[in-house]
Amino acid sequence: MSLTWLSRRLLLMAYTMLVVAVLVFAITQVLPADAAVTLLGQNATPAALLALRQKLGLTDPTWLQFWHWLWSLLHGNFGTSMRTGLPVGPTMFAALSRSLLLAACSILLMLVIAVPLGVLAALRRGSALDVFASLVSYLGISVPEFVTATFVLVVLADRLGWLPATGYVPLSQHFADGVRHLIAPVLTISLVLIAHVARMMRSETIDVLASDYVRAAQLKGLLRRTVLVRHVLRNALLPVVTVVALDVGYLLGGIIVVEEIFAIPGIGRELLIAIQNRDLPSIQAGALIMAGTYAVANLLADIAYALLDPRLRYD
Amino acid sequence: MTALLEVRNLTLDYATGRGSFRALEDVSLSVEAGEVLGLVGESGSGKTSLAMAVMGHLAGNARLTAGSIRLGGAELTALGPAAMRATLGRRIGMVFQNPSTSLNPTLTLGRQITEVLERHRGLSGREAWKEAVAWLERVELRHAEALMRRYPHEVSGGEKQRVVIATAFAPHPEIVLFDEPTTALDVITGARILELFHKLRAETGVAGLYISHDLGLVARVAENVAVMRGGRIVETGRATHLFAHPTHDYTRRLVDAVPRPHRRLVDDNPGSAELLRAEAIGVSYARRRLFRASPAGGGIDGVSFAIGEGEILGLVGESGSGKSTVARALTGLVRATGSLRLDGVPVTRMRHDYRRAVQIVFQHPDSSLNPRHRVRDILARPLRLYGGSLAQIPTLLRNVNLPADYASRWPHQLSGGEKQRVAIARAFAARPRLVICDEITASLDVSVQASTIELLLQLRRQHGTAYLFITHDLNLIRQIAHRLIVMREGRLVDRLDVKALGSGREHPYTRALMAASPLPVGEETGP
Repeated sequence: MSLTWLSRRLLLMAYTMLVVAVLVFAITQVLPADAAVTLLGQNATPAALLALRQKLGLTDPTWLQFWHWLWSLLHGNFGTSMRTGLPVGPTMFAALSRSLLLAACSILLMLVIAVPLGVLAALRRGSALDVFASLVSYLGISVPEFVTATFVLVVLADRLGWLPATGYVPLSQHFADGVRHLIAPVLTISLVLIAHVARMMRSETIDVLASDYVRAAQLKGLLRRTVLVRHVLRNALLPVVTVVALDVGYLLGGIIVVEEIFAIPGIGRELLIAIQNRDLPSIQAGALIMAGTYAVANLLADIAYALLDPRLRYD
Repeated sequence: MTALLEVRNLTLDYATGRGSFRALEDVSLSVEAGEVLGLVGESGSGKTSLAMAVMGHLAGNARLTAGSIRLGGAELTALGPAAMRATLGRRIGMVFQNPSTSLNPTLTLGRQITEVLERHRGLSGREAWKEAVAWLERVELRHAEALMRRYPHEVSGGEKQRVVIATAFAPHPEIVLFDEPTTALDVITGARILELFHKLRAETGVAGLYISHDLGLVARVAENVAVMRGGRIVETGRATHLFAHPTHDYTRRLVDAVPRPHRRLVDDNPGSAELLRAEAIGVSYARRRLFRASPAGGGIDGVSFAIGEGEILGLVGESGSGKSTVARALTGLVRATGSLRLDGVPVTRMRHDYRRAVQIVFQHPDSSLNPRHRVRDILARPLRLYGGSLAQIPTLLRNVNLPADYASRWPHQLSGGEKQRVAIARAFAARPRLVICDEITASLDVSVQASTIELLLQLRRQHGTAYLFITHDLNLIRQIAHRLIVMREGRLVDRLDVKALGSGREHPYTRALMAASPLPVGEETGP
């Protein structure tokens, strides 16, 4: 991994973000929403509407509007929410941080469960554990998250009463309570991730176990543990990194549903509210931030892959 | 004196879906301390099963039904897994066939040696590092310190195999098992590995079990030889004696099948009419990229040669020299620069009649025959394309010495040799004038190789076909080719008459290739 590769990769990312910005702007242009009407209400006089449109720059040509919007974006200004009158940027990034906390916990839980589950299933192929792992995988892949979420809610919150049903408490405010509120959504999201990754981990481990170099390691008389950790695990983990990066894409989509069900004020929920209120600046900012998150996740995955696999040389 | 390794009456079965399959039957052999025993046999003869049984590394469905394996008098089959792991690597080392797959791609070369030293000699990390460097130097690797930090993909195949050898020898084992350690390497690289083998043997006095299908090679490394066939040992004896005077029928056939450069199989001379002329053929595999073009290996440059009507032209060179690229360029499988002339007429586009005249047979029949097509369908396509009739299929099969009812078989129902015959029949279905044979015998056993060559010569007598015969086996090509061209790193370095080989007028590289080719067994004098 060279510096040229990294800078080229970053350049490409900036280009991607520009394309996304154009698309987001174009889509919000064709939405049947008039910012002036949204602000002044249905009963405003035509003169007042026109005055406001001029003041907002809505009468300018589209390309100029885009330019103004992009220019302020580059200065970190995402505009002002038409619903709350507050700056969009800070609101959205605060929401993003809550979503990222949710995503990070889910990925962590997934790694802790899915990697050992996949490896054990591969080591004991055909055993009860293997069958169980397959079952979990099929369930996770085939059941949509709103069903899983409902199930988790009914069992853990309603029947057993172990967890609060919905809502969000910042960890900085009350740590224990915050964690309790995170458990149900994290379980819901990670089930799908576990399904993907455990299956991947199982098939990769089986492939690696059958490889010549693992046989060679065994015939060198190395301890079982050494063979497993040093020779099998590292190689089997490689493709999983890519899957996790792809799953970030899923997370961003799936998280909207989960945040809505559990009433977590994350970026997905914020975006949903913005769409319901035709709050154009918030929609634009939300979509853009999500795309940016995805791009960064992929970059991180590429870097992780390069660090794990010496055969990859990005130059 | 008791033997170091003693296998007695070993019988090994594999449980399969259709009952049990006997891989080894009543196998007995012994290796004295310091002795090297060669184990020869064709694929499926059970040599690898035997080696894995000695290492206690058998598949889950394998059952040792009888016999014993003793190392230094102690029974190995009675050892538990932990005791076996303490023996493997420590007392029995192993060198594998393919160094590219037997080294872990994500660990440095150094780590793959030090882990053995730490495990079996109890060295600390620092001591193991120093000892590993010393061993890399002992296997004649330069820049040992730097190599320790490299990854397998960063070094050549020969260097990798030296690392594997160092790993096997470093814990001072009593015996090392070699499983075809030069098969995956080039002729010249393989010859150097053999020199290293001799040197290490002389220095360490280690015993060896050397598994190979190559009789010539085994004759060079082993004092005693055991010949395996169908899971049994059919003959054992001193290497020098056994190959010169084989008593068992099978051994005799094996020895006879080995190509002998001085026993010509083709005695005619081709006519003077020129069939195909290639002028300055070049192929570049450089990848076009967004920002700049990056040079890539494997291409060829300025390759010119001609093939006469009915001539057999040998094309030799090491892997990566561009031999196969020439074949692909001549058949239009890659875009090439330069010009081609068929019967003196420039070939501007690879039209129907050119493609019909120039056919190709590939190295691996497994991947060149569509597994979802019956033999009949495989042969029907060229017949339809080039105006033949489907009624010719039985004749085509008969011509390659296959029964006519093979037409309804699937490729997976055929043996490797039979598949290659179908591929040859497919090429001849177009009634070609030139057939390009790209290493077509390289993946076949020696006896099958001999009969495949015999078939090609028989077809040539029938049809007067010319061959461009691509191979790395100099002994083989000297038996059949009229002329040779030698490639190295994408260029032609030598072109000469086969009779001129050994006259001293060859290119130095050609001479190096000849020197690296193993002498055929049972022959006292070589080239």
